[in-house]
Formats: sequence, structure tokens, C-alpha cells
Amino acid sequence: MIRIRDLRFKFQGSNRHALRDISLDIDPGEFVVITGPSGCGKSTLALALGGYLFRQHAGEASGSVMVGGLDTREAEIFDVAEIVGVVQQNPEAQLCTLTVVDEVAFGLENRRFPRAMIEERSQWALEIVGALDLVDRPLATLSGGEKQKVAIAAIMAAKPQVLIFDEPTSNLDPTATGEIFRVIQRIREKAGITVIVIEHKLGYLAPFQPRVLTMDSGRIVHDRQQFTRRDARMSWSAPTPSIGLPSHNGCVARAENLTLSYGGVPVLDGISLDFHMGDFVAVMGNNGSGKTTLLRCLMGLLKPQDGRVEVLGQDTRRLPVSSLAQHVGFIFQNPDHQLFAETVWEEATFAPRNFGSLTKETENRVALLLERCGLQQYRDNHPYRLSYGEKRRLNLTSILSYQPRLILLDEILIGQDPDNAALIMDLLREQTQRGSTVVNVTHDPQTTRLYSDRVLFLDGGRVLVDAPTERAFTQLAHLGLEDYLPNGATGLQYQKT
Amino acid sequence: MNTKPKIAYQPRDSWLHQLHPLVKLSWLLGFSVSLFVISSPVWVLAVLLLAVVCFPLVGLSLRNDVRGMRFLTITGLVLFLVQILFNHTGSTVLRLPLGPANLFITDMGITYGIYIGGRFLALIFLSYLFVLTTEPSALAYSLMQVGLPYRYGFVFITALRLAPIFEVEANTVYQAQLTRGVQYDVRSPRKFVTLARQLILPLLVSALSKVDDLAVSMEGRCFGKYATRTYRRVPSYSRRDVLALLLFLVGVIAMVWFALLRLL
Repeated sequence: MIRIRDLRFKFQGSNRHALRDISLDIDPGEFVVITGPSGCGKSTLALALGGYLFRQHAGEASGSVMVGGLDTREAEIFDVAEIVGVVQQNPEAQLCTLTVVDEVAFGLENRRFPRAMIEERSQWALEIVGALDLVDRPLATLSGGEKQKVAIAAIMAAKPQVLIFDEPTSNLDPTATGEIFRVIQRIREKAGITVIVIEHKLGYLAPFQPRVLTMDSGRIVHDRQQFTRRDARMSWSAPTPSIGLPSHNGCVARAENLTLSYGGVPVLDGISLDFHMGDFVAVMGNNGSGKTTLLRCLMGLLKPQDGRVEVLGQDTRRLPVSSLAQHVGFIFQNPDHQLFAETVWEEATFAPRNFGSLTKETENRVALLLERCGLQQYRDNHPYRLSYGEKRRLNLTSILSYQPRLILLDEILIGQDPDNAALIMDLLREQTQRGSTVVNVTHDPQTTRLYSDRVLFLDGGRVLVDAPTERAFTQLAHLGLEDYLPNGATGLQYQKT
Repeated sequence: MNTKPKIAYQPRDSWLHQLHPLVKLSWLLGFSVSLFVISSPVWVLAVLLLAVVCFPLVGLSLRNDVRGMRFLTITGLVLFLVQILFNHTGSTVLRLPLGPANLFITDMGITYGIYIGGRFLALIFLSYLFVLTTEPSALAYSLMQVGLPYRYGFVFITALRLAPIFEVEANTVYQAQLTRGVQYDVRSPRKFVTLARQLILPLLVSALSKVDDLAVSMEGRCFGKYATRTYRRVPSYSRRDVLALLLFLVGVIAMVWFALLRLL
């Protein structure tokens, strides 16, 4: 089905190859997982298979990419699209209509299918992804997981022979992630097509027994025909933190009966919590459970409609964000939304410069942080020229530069490979050791188990679980929330404890 | 993330909601043109009154569903008052002694006040009625099915899809800047330019990234492969639509007739 020979590709303006000497054969109906560190060329390979790499990106290419008998370097993108479908990371960015039924019909209408066939294929595609109940919904009302299901159905409706998933669950919570992997399983069973999944979360893929390709620096470095226990552990086998747990004392932030709603729909429903000095708290829960809203309340960006939030003894309703910002650091979900300066160095020192606290000592600290994050060599480069993982580390550096006492993180580990994740978490652990408090919204139970000493689980704007990490996992297991247990763990393992 | 736009279709079961989007569009265009073609303050006031009365009749509220209602009303009143106070053409209908000077209110001042303030408010309220009662994708698909090239139709649909997302992102970038100590009390043009650049650049990068993803998604589903496309939606006109269209045509003929009479 797929035959790649000696493929090399270098993006225009780059001095290194994104893909090097790729040679690969994939048979019809095969299930393949491509994994590897951030920036290793996985997504570029997916774009090459779909032909988009050679049409939408300027660069130097050599070698051949044959899919279903078509050379994707030469063939029209529309002809390749009849064979290959690509489901991307962000469901928001790949939907182009306003309703579910229009979205699924979109590709069929473009192919000038008759109305009866459009209806029949749309129905089939929605059924295969388990989204028939969504058929009449506007897209704006769907959750992230539901949107991703619709995006898959929209591709499946054309009945491609090869389906490529490029980190399809990176923006989803564990429940939605589990559901998407079950959809992939259903597609394999019912459609019998070639499936290629680019993914870090290998633990979810164990039941499929896929062939695993590991990439590094643009090359395929391992090609294993069988999925091993080692692969399953790889997904988040970050090294055990070397720094001990800090002692806890002193309340840094407090929410009392915190209540907030958007358009009459309660998002936080009477939450009461304390965060202490040195706490490393993981905040978990499904998308829409109120995690991000809680962080924004702690930052003073949102004011409570009822109850109160105190940070460092101050009521956030009476304090401007600019005052709180000197003591509270916030990292948002998308790294591109928080890069404002012209160079990496200016970005890393952006906040202390604004606060008027840029001293020689701060500069030394920033230089050290850049060194540890592997960014010192890019000091004079524009931040937007960095890779996704590098941008994330720069976001963290720019926060740690002024050593805030409360650090709020909104899914900082999205799209991070295990090594990057371990580096980020180690840096944060060091901050808690120095007395800072970390509140980390995360969907990753594995790193939570390794680094956090407390887990808050939100559900429908309320605190469902608030306990030390291991006890919290036991409670989650008893509640049947197995998708939130650490990688490879089963509910039984925790229910026994 | 709440990506619901602030000025958006409000689903209800009213007769206006159920009218075909193209019939509603015809009525909107017809009333809008009539406000300028029919030179009668009574007509302007009648259309304004009709628009205002329609809101509760179709289950909508001027106060809750019209964004910036107070600002719009005040602007309409200011436009009206400016003409009353400063347009002294025509015959005086009221003279108010105000200290050393007298305030004249003339018939033409009132007439032009109604024309300008009334037309402004009537156009705004009519447009709101159309937007709040018309599902945007139904409008776009209807236009494409009567001949609008589908590429233009999907420019409209993708804009509607992405605009609320960009609004949310702009707010996130602004909040991210606040958390890094950016001060928005701008005093110098240079500082303003810096702030604008720091706000626009992240949004631009994010928009370009989304455009890349969207291009893969749309081309991957053969958008643009052929000059025409088929549609799942069936264009259907009810008896109510036909009646409304006939009424519209009668209105247009009457408007042209009266316009010609005035010319004669």
C-alpha cells in the first residue's frame, strides 16, 4: 500500500533535514504507530504521505513516496486524497462548516456525489465513529472529543484506503482520549483499512498490537513488528524525580465557596480549597469540568460571582492582575499565545523587565535556565523559529525568571515527549523545593504519579476528589475513572489497595 | 472554551425564524432600500416601529439580544438631536428663548432628524432581526444553491466558524500579557505601536497555523477539485415563503410606482 524509498526533505530556510533516508513499506490493512521525540519528523512524514508536504511547503525533496500506486510527490493532491485521509491534532482547526451533518457531507459534496449517496455515506461514517447522536448538533456546542470524532467521520465518509492520525488526542482529556482510541479500533474492525497513528501515548495502543516505528532526528531508528511491554511503558516513562518532597506550610492561595458561571451555566460550583507553600498539585478532570477557570480565578483574571479567592492573603477582587502577576506565574495552553518579544533572550526576560526587577542576578538565573532548557544556542533567534517543545520550555523560563510564589500551569505537557516532560517537571519540582506552589492542570496520570503530591479531580465544577496522589488514584479507581489512572495501571490495582 | 459568538442566530420557533433565508434577505434589502427611496418621515418611523415590534413577536428581546442596545439608541437620538438643533432650514415650528440667543426648531430640522436618526436605528434593528433569526449556514448554502460561487460561500462559512475562535484567542493573548506585567495605560504612540505588535503577532501566527491546518483539511476533502459541487441540503420553499415573496414583490412594485409618481 505504501512504499517509500530514500526520502529526504529539508524545509526552505532550515539548515537540517526534517526527513532523512526514510525507506518504508506498509502493507494493506496494517496498523502502524509512529513515535519519537517532539520535532523528530513524525508529522512531516504524515504530510509527505498525504502529498501536502510537497504542495504547501517550500523545500528540497528527494526520493519517492508511493501510496496506492500514486507518487505523492508528483500526483495531484485531490487524487492522493482519494486514497489517504489525514486527521490532525487540533479538531478546532480542521472543521470548516457550522454543523455536524454539513461537516461530514462536505467532502462528498466536493466530490459531486448525488444526494442519496451523501446521506448514505454520512450515516455510515457517523455510525462507525459512534457519533450518530450528534448529527443535528452545531459544531460550536460539541466538546473536544466530539469534534475529533466528527473530524474522523468527515474523513472516513470518503472511504480512504489509508487513514493517518497525527496525535489525534493531544488536546483531549483521558476519557475522550480513550473514546477516540476505541473509535480507531472500530474503524480497523469495520473498515479494514491501513491505519497509521502518530502518538506519544503508546499505552493506549497496546491492545491493537501495532507495528511500532520510532523516529529520531528525521530518521526511522527502530521498526518493530510487535508491540512490547517496553513500548507501553515508553509513553510517559519519565525518570523518577531526583529531588525530595518539600515540607508543607503556609497557605498561599485559598478559594472559599468559589462560584462562577458563563451564560447561566455554572462552571465552578461552590469550590473551597487551600494551596500551601511547596504544594505540587495536579488538577485533573474532563474537558469543561472547570480546571482552566479555577486557574484563571487564582490569577485574578476572572472574579468570583459568589464566594472569594485569596492569593497571598489578598482578595483577588480588590487586586489588579498586574499586582498579582509579580508573585503568580501563569502558563497558558498554547505556547504561541504567550510569545511577545523579538528574541529568545528578550522573551525570557520579558516579565522581569515589565516588573522593573531585571537585575544582574535575574539575568544570571535566566542564562542558567536557558542553558538547562537547551535554548542558550537560540538566544538571539526569534521565539517563533523554535520547535513546539522549545517554545514550551521558553514559556516556562520566562515564568521562572522572576521566581513567582504561585505557578499556575494549563496543560503544559501537551505535545511533549517524555524527555521534555521530565525536564519541565524537574524544573517545577525544584521550584516547589524552594517554597513555590505549583498548580498543574494536566491530563497525564503518569507524570502526576511521579511528581505531584496531591490530586484535585474536578467534575462539573465541583471537587470530586482532593487527596494525596496515591490515595486520589485509589478513589478514582473506586469511582470507575480508569482512564485517569497511571499508564498501564488497571482499576483493580488501585481497588485492591 | 466558549466559542459561541456574541451576535449570533437565536433558535426559536417563530414565523420569522421559519421563513426561507433568501426570502428574509429579500425583505431586508427591500426595507433598507425603501428607507432611502421613499422620502417620507412617516415611512421611516413606520419601518422603525415595525422592526421594534417584531422583536417580542418572534421571541427576542431588544434589551438582551441586541448587543450594545444602549449605545445604539443613544447614537440614534444624538443624530436626531443634532439635526433638530442645528438644521434651521424650513419654517419654524418652535422658538425657545435661551438667554441672549433663541433656539429655533424647524420642520425640516425635525424631518431630517427622523431621516438620519430613524434610518440609522431602523437599519440596525432590521439587520439584527435578520441575523438573530437566520441560521448562517442555511443562508450561505441557499446563496450557493442560487448561483453564488461556492468558494465565496465557504469564505463566509469559515469566517463564521473561525471568528469566535479568534475572539477567544485575542482575549487569551491579552490575559497572557497582563500576567507578564504588560501595562495597558498607553501614553505614547511608540508604546502603543509596541503593544499593538505584541498583541497582533501571536494572533497572526496562530491564524496562519490554523489556515495551514484548514487547507490540509479542506483540500484533503477535495475542496476546489471541480468548478461546481453537489449539496446535501434540499432547497425548499413553503407556502408561507411563497406568500412572503409575493408580498415582497407587491411592495417593490408599489415602491417603484410611488417613486415614479413623485418624479412625475
